[in-house]
Amino acid sequence: MSENQNSSNCRISRNVLIKAPGLLPMLYTPREIAEDLGVPETTLRDWLNHGAPHSRDESNHIWIDGKQFAAWVDNQRNAKKKPTHPLQAGEGFCMRCNAIVKIQNSEIRPVKGHLSHLKGKCPICGGIVNRGIWNAGSSELPQG
Amino acid sequence: MLDRQNYLKVKLFLKYSRLVHGRSSLQISNDYEHLKSLLLWAGSQPLSSAHAFNTSLTDFLFQNVEKGLDQAELQSLLNTNQRFLLWVKAMFPVEFQNIRLSWIIKISAISEGKEVII
Repeated sequence: MSENQNSSNCRISRNVLIKAPGLLPMLYTPREIAEDLGVPETTLRDWLNHGAPHSRDESNHIWIDGKQFAAWVDNQRNAKKKPTHPLQAGEGFCMRCNAIVKIQNSEIRPVKGHLSHLKGKCPICGGIVNRGIWNAGSSELPQG
Repeated sequence: MLDRQNYLKVKLFLKYSRLVHGRSSLQISNDYEHLKSLLLWAGSQPLSSAHAFNTSLTDFLFQNVEKGLDQAELQSLLNTNQRFLLWVKAMFPVEFQNIRLSWIIKISAISEGKEVII
């Protein structure tokens, strides 16, 4: 019988992220999998309570499929990544509203080389919004 | 699904290597990585019938597992597997009575004419 309880995110250490893909396609006991991943068994049981895939046999013993567990660890890593929103042309980040806004009345001034400075107003609060851009008129921001 | 008894024997071998031969944790970790390929080769079949498997271990390694290994690493992997099989035959003589020593000795020899993928 398969069990899935809460599916909230767990803190997974880097060591586990590296070791999890090496788990074999077989059924492990919690102790074995904890030993292979180098984490305390209590931590592993905590992950099982937070939705890590496992099953119980008729004697109520817990069994964990190595490959399914590795996939779950990978999902946890991906779930932790926050979605990003690259700034589009004419957009800027208003420090007062703490949000991405469409810049109004924008002025572009060259700074140096390909770098230019875009300055305008926030349509929500009316505050000044600044943004650096490559090649005046382009929507690209310098990366890094 | 892999045979759990094979996995348990590998774990026992690693524990024995650590306690009796005093192998370091790094060596144990390397040995385990090498023996994983043996477990994958055996699949759901017991290692006690390894001599009757359709594919030989070296062929399996060439086909599936160890793409990107150089010859030295491959030889080291085969040596670890040979060490394990010798140990398991000594420790479980009845279960492994069908596996001949000559077959185990041949395991670590890479067949001539095989290309090593680098």
